[in-house]
Amino acid sequence: MALLHRFSCCSSPSSPPVISLTKSTSKSILFPISHLPRHRRFPQRFPSFRLTATLAAESPAGSVSGGGGGQPKLLLEVKDLTAVIAESGQKILNGVNLSIYEGEIHAIMGKNGSGKSTFAKVLVGHKDYEVTGGSVVFKGENLLEMEPEDRSLAGLFLSFQSPVEIPGVSNSDFLQMAYNARRRKLGLPELDPLQFYGYIMPKLEMVNIKADFLNRNVNEGFSGGEKKRNEILQLAVLGAELAILDEIDSGLDVDALRDVSKAVNALMTPTNSVLMITHYRQLLEFIKPTYIHIMDEGKISKTGDISIANILEKEGYKAMSTS
Amino acid sequence: MDVSAFTPIIRTTRFSSSTIPTSPYLSNFTRTRKLKPHRHSLAPISSLSDPFVLQIAESLEDSLPSSPNLQKLRDFASESLLSTPWPSRKDEPFRFTDTSFIKQSDIIPVSSPPSLESLNNLSVFEASHLLNLTIIDGYVIDSLSQLSGLPDGVFVGSLSSINSTEITARVLEFLPVSEQGDLFLSLNGVGSPDLVVVYVPEGCKIEGLLHLRYVSSEGSDKNSRKLPVSNPRVLVVVEKGGEIGILEEFMGGDGDLSYWTNSVMEVVIGEEAKVGHSYIQNQSLSSAHIKWTSIRQEKSSSYELVEVSTGGKLSRHNMHVQQVGPDTTTGLSTFHLSGNDQTQDLHSKIVLDHPRGFSRQLHKCIVAHSLGQAVFDGNIKVNRYAQQTDAGQLTRSLILEPRATVNVKPNLQIIADDVKCSHGAAICDLEEDQLFYLQARGIDLKTARKALIVSFGAEVIDRFPSKDLRQKVELHVRKLLDPQVHVENSMRSFNLKRNL
Repeated sequence: MALLHRFSCCSSPSSPPVISLTKSTSKSILFPISHLPRHRRFPQRFPSFRLTATLAAESPAGSVSGGGGGQPKLLLEVKDLTAVIAESGQKILNGVNLSIYEGEIHAIMGKNGSGKSTFAKVLVGHKDYEVTGGSVVFKGENLLEMEPEDRSLAGLFLSFQSPVEIPGVSNSDFLQMAYNARRRKLGLPELDPLQFYGYIMPKLEMVNIKADFLNRNVNEGFSGGEKKRNEILQLAVLGAELAILDEIDSGLDVDALRDVSKAVNALMTPTNSVLMITHYRQLLEFIKPTYIHIMDEGKISKTGDISIANILEKEGYKAMSTS
Repeated sequence: MDVSAFTPIIRTTRFSSSTIPTSPYLSNFTRTRKLKPHRHSLAPISSLSDPFVLQIAESLEDSLPSSPNLQKLRDFASESLLSTPWPSRKDEPFRFTDTSFIKQSDIIPVSSPPSLESLNNLSVFEASHLLNLTIIDGYVIDSLSQLSGLPDGVFVGSLSSINSTEITARVLEFLPVSEQGDLFLSLNGVGSPDLVVVYVPEGCKIEGLLHLRYVSSEGSDKNSRKLPVSNPRVLVVVEKGGEIGILEEFMGGDGDLSYWTNSVMEVVIGEEAKVGHSYIQNQSLSSAHIKWTSIRQEKSSSYELVEVSTGGKLSRHNMHVQQVGPDTTTGLSTFHLSGNDQTQDLHSKIVLDHPRGFSRQLHKCIVAHSLGQAVFDGNIKVNRYAQQTDAGQLTRSLILEPRATVNVKPNLQIIADDVKCSHGAAICDLEEDQLFYLQARGIDLKTARKALIVSFGAEVIDRFPSKDLRQKVELHVRKLLDPQVHVENSMRSFNLKRNL
């Protein structure tokens, strides 16, 4: 039953699962815990699923030890989500179904204008879009009823595709303000600038950026790569159970992409998850997804593993729509 | 909206083409020079004059002892007062600015320096290690000033205490320097008890800021309709290659008192000289603050203004920059906050008459009260010989309350044909995208709005030359925008004290 549920996100649940599962199985064999791979077929049934998922993500070994026992929890459940552009009423999401469990890494690929970024923005509550139907449950709560700031405090993070510049607000003030909002939510005392400085220094190192970054205004005059690094820095500072990375690979050179991916991988734990949106296979080499979804005309048309990306690379989206 | 390059376009405004004989800008040409400014001779021409203006002028004259050095200035000013009526909303320079707050009050000149006793009661001062000169109600107070360490040849103080005849003579050459003015400039000329002089000799570079602290100590209860008026006047002369940074700070004095500060600063900047000018206006919310800043820039000189004005019920800054040589650099950055039932007005005029002038103007204002108002009239005049001028102007206003008002009138008048000029004006609410970005990081809407409102002014505040100043002004602006900050901060210092 759980299996059925899981694949209900495919609008055409035909052949791919078989191919993808064999493929992923063979991949998992590379990992030392050899008795696990078989379980990948029925992830949520087996307590050990979470292990394979994190392994697939090439997360640090430490996280594996922390993941023993207990059923992986359903983190995000999107059902038949439809949305329109608030201003024009133009339909843009036409029934998205997606479930993400703890420890999983999902990737959404798709043509320009297929609704990938819109989907991400709808999840974080952007006012440009209006939800017209369906449901989104995050950690058991109705996400659609929450304000954007409450969604963030609940553990949802979107790394924006084009982060906005905020002249006059320094990066350090901004990060401190956001981090203290989180601490308030958790009932912890707020950090003063000095304490915050101590907290943030290791995070800067993690994303490989210099301390003078903090004195600059939020994203003002940042290069494309700096903006993306800044997004990941925010993720590192705030932490998130579900991080949505909207094209973090666009505008990055290989070195920057490696830095950013390394940071994302280092942030993965058995209990948090990533949903990344990308056009390029290259990112998937650095951050290995558990599942790849293809989005087409406002819904997820196909779900599978890395092999989908391979087919895409060779044959383009045409191959997807005809299968 | 921005235009990066212009083919010659002459933008003429209603005001500049008007030929109304009563316009103060034309009064210099229409007045009859024969009339003596002495008050006894005023009666015959009363038909041309405004009795209300004459009454103020007379009471100002009566309040002051004679001063041989200032006589020329006073004569010049009282002569122009004869033909200058009190401005009405029909006069273009006052179209959006209602001066009836002053007109409907009983105006009383402050006729003597403050008593020692009242000085002791002043609590406005924090310790300042900067070079500073304190001017109370227009009078220099030496006991509250700190001027030691000034380089040789530099003079800061009252005109009457200059002990070098050369400097005195040199300074008097520039009196009066303003060719064009208005009623308020002339009233200051008549009513100023003293002239504060800042003289920087050739090649002398003064490090750090010279802090001019203006205090209005005479004040009346805000419901009394009495308006004690003071007329501080400062003349800055910086000779060739000299450099100075001046901070003008207008403070409130004690409590929410009513007064009228009618202040003038004139700055003469010699060849290749540099003047940095910081200007903070934080007077009582029941006061009128009228300010003239008149700048004369010689060849290759540079002038940078950073202004933050938040005080006054009626606050008007007239900024006039006149280029008298080529290759000048001029920067005006101003931030006005109208957070109460108050008017903040900036009328600026940059006149470029010589080649290769460079000017950048940024004006920002926030109106955060439904009875608040902001006015901006920014004129840039690029005359025939001002070829290869590069002039840019940008004004942005933020209206945060329903019924709050902003009137902006950016205007460029370009006659030269090889120039680069741009201007832009925007009146807006906060950027939705920026708000959302902060919210998406868990910051609630109220806090996010506050951060963005403060950041709006920060673009100007960040241009103050010292870190202490930036922090002080930013905290002050935060307090005004959010009274809670004040409470939080005083609580914090209270807790600190308790812990000690």
